[in-house]
Amino acid sequence: MATSLSPSATKPTEPPAPAAPVRRMSTSRKREARYFYLFISPWIVGFLAFMLGPMIASVYYSLTDWDTFTPPTFVGIDNYVRLFTEDPIFWKALGNTFYYAAISVPLGLVLGLWLAHLLNKQVRARKLFRTLIYLPTLVPLVATAMIFQMVLAPDGPLNGLLGWFGIDGPAWLLDPDWVKPALILLSAWGAGGATVLLLATMKGIPNEFYEAAEIDGAGSARQFRSITFPQVTPIIFFNLIMGLIGAFQIFSQVYILTSGGPNNASQMVVPLLFNEAFSYYRMGYASAISWVLFVIILLFTLVAFRTSRRWVFYETAMR
Amino acid sequence: MAITTTPAAVTAQTTRAPRDEPEGRGRTLRAFKAPPATYAVLLIVSAILFVPFVFVVSIALSSDQTVNTNSFTVIPREFEWGNFVRVFTSDLPMGRFVVNSCVIAFFAVIGQVISSSLVGYAFARLRAPGKNAVFLVVLATMMIPAQITMIPQFILFKELGWVNTFLPLIVPNFFSNAFNIFLVRQFVSRMSSEVDEAAMMDGLGFFGIYRRMILPMMFPILVAIGIFTLTATWGDFMGPLIYLNDESKMPLALGVQYIASTGQALQAPPWNFVMVGSLLLTVPMICVYYLGQKYLYEMNLSGGSAGVK
Amino acid sequence: MGIMDTNFSRRGFLTSTLVAAAGVITLTACGSDSGGGGGDSRLVMTVWGGEVDKAAYQARIDALVEAYPEMSVTLQLILSDSYAQKVQTMIAGGSGPDIMQVAENVNVYSSKNQLLPLDEHIATAKLDLDSRFGPVGSVYSYEDTVYAIPDRSGAAILYYNKGLFESAGISAPTADWTWDDMLSAAQELTVPGERWGYAGAGWWPLWWSFAHQNGGAIIDEAGRPTADSDAVVEALQYCGDLVFKHKVVPSTIDYANMGTDMGGDPAFAAGLVAMNTTGFWNVGSLAEQDTVEWDIAPMWRGKEQAVATFGSGLAISRTAKDPALAFKAIDFLTSDKSQPLVISMKQDVPANVEVQQSDAFLSPSWMTDPVNMQAFPESSSFAFKSTFIPQWNEMQQAFTDGLADFWLGKQEAAPALATIQERLESIIPAK
Repeated sequence: MATSLSPSATKPTEPPAPAAPVRRMSTSRKREARYFYLFISPWIVGFLAFMLGPMIASVYYSLTDWDTFTPPTFVGIDNYVRLFTEDPIFWKALGNTFYYAAISVPLGLVLGLWLAHLLNKQVRARKLFRTLIYLPTLVPLVATAMIFQMVLAPDGPLNGLLGWFGIDGPAWLLDPDWVKPALILLSAWGAGGATVLLLATMKGIPNEFYEAAEIDGAGSARQFRSITFPQVTPIIFFNLIMGLIGAFQIFSQVYILTSGGPNNASQMVVPLLFNEAFSYYRMGYASAISWVLFVIILLFTLVAFRTSRRWVFYETAMR
Repeated sequence: MAITTTPAAVTAQTTRAPRDEPEGRGRTLRAFKAPPATYAVLLIVSAILFVPFVFVVSIALSSDQTVNTNSFTVIPREFEWGNFVRVFTSDLPMGRFVVNSCVIAFFAVIGQVISSSLVGYAFARLRAPGKNAVFLVVLATMMIPAQITMIPQFILFKELGWVNTFLPLIVPNFFSNAFNIFLVRQFVSRMSSEVDEAAMMDGLGFFGIYRRMILPMMFPILVAIGIFTLTATWGDFMGPLIYLNDESKMPLALGVQYIASTGQALQAPPWNFVMVGSLLLTVPMICVYYLGQKYLYEMNLSGGSAGVK
Repeated sequence: MGIMDTNFSRRGFLTSTLVAAAGVITLTACGSDSGGGGGDSRLVMTVWGGEVDKAAYQARIDALVEAYPEMSVTLQLILSDSYAQKVQTMIAGGSGPDIMQVAENVNVYSSKNQLLPLDEHIATAKLDLDSRFGPVGSVYSYEDTVYAIPDRSGAAILYYNKGLFESAGISAPTADWTWDDMLSAAQELTVPGERWGYAGAGWWPLWWSFAHQNGGAIIDEAGRPTADSDAVVEALQYCGDLVFKHKVVPSTIDYANMGTDMGGDPAFAAGLVAMNTTGFWNVGSLAEQDTVEWDIAPMWRGKEQAVATFGSGLAISRTAKDPALAFKAIDFLTSDKSQPLVISMKQDVPANVEVQQSDAFLSPSWMTDPVNMQAFPESSSFAFKSTFIPQWNEMQQAFTDGLADFWLGKQEAAPALATIQERLESIIPAK
């Protein structure tokens, strides 16, 4: 639903702007292109200097057997074959990761959006509320982990609260069936992170839209659906992509809270490859795992981008 | 999901009453009224999110005896304020840690804000062949777990002679990162480009548009980037762990990890000190966020997106 | 609102960037490593642990440098959880430590030639490992070559709540106690829901002790896994029965309800368990409190007498520039000139048996009430030696995964160990 404003409307002598680059570009387009690459040169330099080399190196290592001490021995695609055919723990970790991402990402988005919507109103003490909601993401994980272990203890406060409602709470982190929901709870606790961006965006929506809607008799629910939501879809989309990438790469929480247990019920792909690399000294195998994960994340991201055209609203053409 | 209201009068650049002004100045729009239900919900949610923090404070104020017997309570019942002093007089140079954290964070924020605003603007506004491919590569850099590039990057920095300095922790921030680029792109793309076109005709040039028109409007998102970078750097201990050898160079986040680690496998760490350290890590960030809210949410910047199709 | 009027002039922009760059360059200057300089006699020593360890190691290094002024040693204390990762990164990057602390993972490094063989240095220094360290003398060996010198080595001993024992009329435990003696004492001292008789053997060194006491072994001397032998199965099942059948030991869930990271040690200090078998490290903190009246004794016996030991050694990485100097330092640190500091700084039990038998250890200056420290040297005489295979980490993971259900009471020992044995056989290649 992009609104396009092509410069050709103001420069009648120009040929219409093509969607794909053509061999003959106008001078102003060439100039624009040059400026583009000039503006992004900081990133390019950083990428070439700090990222490209290590990335290529890790692709190479994924084709070797390397214990990081002795020189690597080339084994071709053996690591990948072994990963797919002989490693049941990998499949378990992959399934766990999908489960975690599929639930925590939408949950975080919904919670974040809902909280942002609430905080968008003229609530007294809103500064305080906003700070309290963002607070969980500011607490270091070493403290959060310990607190969560206490809260999620089989006879701990959370189960106590559930008991008031007559529910017999599970052993959470100690129960293979409930350890993943426990991790999802932990991620939901940090939903305030998404709220910051959503709220900042909401604040940038001109009042006139709401004024006009009110004049036209729209109720607050209608206003949210037709004004607020479309305007924040670019940031929702951002949070979706970031959330996906982050959820697939979850590491510290698993590493500290559960070590992947009980019996790999909460093992995820990145903690798994961390063990392979730094505990069993199989860096080649770990590199293979990471590139498989990369492809998976890339696929999901591409799908998200493709489908985004349907629901993300940009003020200008994303050219 | 098109906007359904299109009053013509809106196309002019009107100054708008900042939404968050105290009530009483004109009628509050229905969209922003806060019924009691809203308060109730916010109170409940905030309480749920706040209770763990109270717990942290309670543990920070506990005595050593309570630590040894692991008999903590959520509501503080001991008030060993001395713990805060003891943390600073222990073997670890906590004051030095704080200074190191400040230095690293300061430069990291500057680097990210400058570079991300430039690069993100380009992706949002400028056209070029190969742009989408480049953007894909940008995103791709986020999809590789850091644990895998850790050793090759370490070798790289070692060849540069940057090990045991702050450089590996600071310098990469001057080249932006995918998260911030994507964020700025999304934010700027929300802004109408009509005024861009007009400015072009006035001969402003891309850099001029950038600095005169887009940059001021980007301010809230740059503040957000600043806050995110600050909190990420302030709490990062993995990078310092790998690259710093001297204790005098360590930042606070790593210092707190040390307090939380013990030599023996089954021994419990001194949780009261761990929590004091965690509070030292958290409270400054809370202050930054609290004070920064004005720039995040309450900069009402007119112009640009007043245009409606 | 001034922001609207701000004009980031091009000059202002450039200026701020230059200032930032200048700052970074200054940081390079003042933050940079002083290179490998300081002469070749500078040794880097990596250890893991917390504050107590740091203080203890530093004190010993100070003594070393006093004795040999030409040496300069930099101590790098690394987080226990990240020690392996950081050392691995250092070695892979070519700047491995000169002296490095190692424990069960020693042969992960030695099997890949990352540690220097020490046999020649030992011969030159005329160091007799057996006489200095007793049974654990050559525990850090691989394929009959020694790769690390023992530095700290304490046996698992039994902490018991003297107050509770006395009021229940149970006589103090000795090395001759049998499993039945222990069980009956534990049953006497257990008050359901309030207190348990024994903290449990969930940690691998502890139930391995039971296995060895029953005549079995997890890894035989040839390095082959024998986790499903009858003796081991019987011993493990006994440990599980203590939790679920006799109910004298808290289960994982009971511990989780006691608090975060709750285990035998804090439970004993809180008086929630009457007996706890573990290593030296609680002696210091228990000596400072007076809630619990306590003492220690050697662990009980089964068909045989056997206990696990906890310790670490010092090795030299292959990137060390002056191995002879590094060995000289290690020799000093494990001699009776430096080992007394291990106990006087409340860190651990020194590996040096002479020091173990001395008064410096048996009645340390900081101990106000007498404690039966003799339990340590007595126990080390029947310590069993684990074979430190190169696949140690994977083996431990197999046990953790495979016993998860067992320790929750959902599985018997025999099937759990059968599965584990299968996995171990695939992990540990036959020679």
